[in-house]
Amino acid sequence: MRRNWTLNRASVIRLLVVAGIAAGLAWWGVRTLLPAKMVEDHAGLLTQEQNAWVSEYHQFLLRDHDIDYRVVSENKVADINQMAVKTFERLGDGMRSTTGRGLLLVIAPDEKLVRLEVSRSLEPVYTDAFVKYIEERQMVPFFASGRIADGILATTEMIVTRAQEARANVEFDASRHASKSAGGGAVSRIENAAKNAARGDGGFTPGATPGDTLKSYLTAMAARNSSPDLEIYTDETRTMLKSWTVTPAQMDNEVKSHRKCASQGTRARGQYAVIRYRIKDRLCAPYFFHKSGEGWQLDLTMMQKAIRFNQSNYWRFDMSVTHAYAFAFDDWRFDKNGFPIAVK
Amino acid sequence: MEPEDRIQRMTDEGLLDEKQAEMLRASFAGQHGVEPVPHSGVARVRGLFLGSAALVVVFVIFMLAGGGPELEVIQDVTKTLNQPGGHGEMNRTISTLLAIGLMFIVPLLLWGWMHNSLVAHEEKVFETWAQTESNFQRRADLIPNLVETVTRYLKHERETLTDVTSARAKSNEQLAEGINKLIGDQKAASDLLRKGRAVVEDEALMKKLFDAQTALGSNVTNLMAVSENYPDLRSSDQFLQLQAQLEGTENRVNVARMRFNEAVGEYNGTMRMLPWSLVASAGSFRRKAYFRSDEEARNAPELDLE
Repeated sequence: MRRNWTLNRASVIRLLVVAGIAAGLAWWGVRTLLPAKMVEDHAGLLTQEQNAWVSEYHQFLLRDHDIDYRVVSENKVADINQMAVKTFERLGDGMRSTTGRGLLLVIAPDEKLVRLEVSRSLEPVYTDAFVKYIEERQMVPFFASGRIADGILATTEMIVTRAQEARANVEFDASRHASKSAGGGAVSRIENAAKNAARGDGGFTPGATPGDTLKSYLTAMAARNSSPDLEIYTDETRTMLKSWTVTPAQMDNEVKSHRKCASQGTRARGQYAVIRYRIKDRLCAPYFFHKSGEGWQLDLTMMQKAIRFNQSNYWRFDMSVTHAYAFAFDDWRFDKNGFPIAVK
Repeated sequence: MEPEDRIQRMTDEGLLDEKQAEMLRASFAGQHGVEPVPHSGVARVRGLFLGSAALVVVFVIFMLAGGGPELEVIQDVTKTLNQPGGHGEMNRTISTLLAIGLMFIVPLLLWGWMHNSLVAHEEKVFETWAQTESNFQRRADLIPNLVETVTRYLKHERETLTDVTSARAKSNEQLAEGINKLIGDQKAASDLLRKGRAVVEDEALMKKLFDAQTALGSNVTNLMAVSENYPDLRSSDQFLQLQAQLEGTENRVNVARMRFNEAVGEYNGTMRMLPWSLVASAGSFRRKAYFRSDEEARNAPELDLE
């Protein structure tokens, strides 16, 4: 028997309502699955590639710590504080954090200002003083030398480190909040590079042992001595450091993180030596030393080539790089990505 | 460290004189126990009762005077629906009672809804004001810290620098004056803040508080600007930390102020509209004061009630 499929007006309305609800639900579902736009570079400060790096790194922050960290650059900004609050409000509903953990970096190149806005639920972790510190002592030196993407990523590293500490100390509020800002965060001026340039004198000589040199290096870092000409560095390292931006925060971090590393002693062969740490200390990368006529010198150039860090700051070897320091790890096993996994 | 302990320490070390210490102490005395707003809860209930009663009276008069025929019309429909066969007296009574009930309940519900909506708007005003107040308090708590950092630095400079240039001496004088002014303004602002939420309904008091807080904020900013002449002071991590806290607090004050003024705008705007204005006057809802300067008030955009 053939049915007669005729639709009256009520049925059409019912169908339209159901279709509308289904479309709404589908859009909501798809929207939450689509990756969020982490960078809105209206001032054109980043290349497409740099934009992708920053976005990818910030996606990891969202995945690992539920922190939605957005970056917005704008040329014309009347009041960066107000603009940051308004932008936070605009982004608020679309923020992906389930616990209201939101960060917003506003860069205003014309005004030479940066502001990192912090959502309410993150204020106890990223205090104004901490934000000011990472802006002034980490981000601004990079920005002042025109390295915007590096400055953003180097600062994100510090944000990740702080998030790891906060997670370990149960400082995060795990309850659900909306991503709202009450004006927390800090603003900093992108001042000229001269103010943030390397400072410090010599007086740090190569040690009779790699351990002595490492001690001198950490003393220099504690004094925020970023001079590339220290004699504790190899010649190649000095050349490399001349073109580097070494920030006060990086030096502070070097000293602070080393305090948590338990050394396994020195492994030396000929002119090469390594000070390494326990495998389980994933944040403690090894140090390479080369012996010259003056004593043991730190070979940061080879460390820079051979050692990589993931988004959680865990170190690994770049397995494509061959180097003279590999002997010191011949009793360790590494996975295919170069992460040390166990003693052989 | 509590502000009281900090003040005592500064007095002991000779960083503050007795008068300055007294003024700073006075600005903290009883700070954490602000008076609650004179609550008009009884008036509200009375207003709600009187308003509802007035509406009921109006509808009863309406029904007695002209409502009869309308009810008949309704009854006629029932009659038609109940055809064939007559309708009982009970149907007529139920319909009449239902109609009367509806006539009482609908206005009551409407009145209640408008009343609650005004209460919600008013609570939003108080909530945003509490945020603003807590930021003022946050700033007040930081001021002894700032006073200590700067006076300690000045003391250190006086002790270590034997040859102070005239420009430097002038700058030192500015810094010392700034500290004095800051302490005075802190006291004035704290005295007004102790009035509690009552200030929200008093335009004159709110204006005074605005001026006092603005003066205090400007003094903090000026002191920071003068400190630009002291690279050693500025470059220390301790000063950077304090600067971050003070700047952060200033920004929070601005954000809270903006949200408070938005909430006041919505509340005052709703209260002026009919029929909310009837509910507001019966329920003793009072207009709230904006926290803004005269100039801002003149340039404020008209509230779009569409």
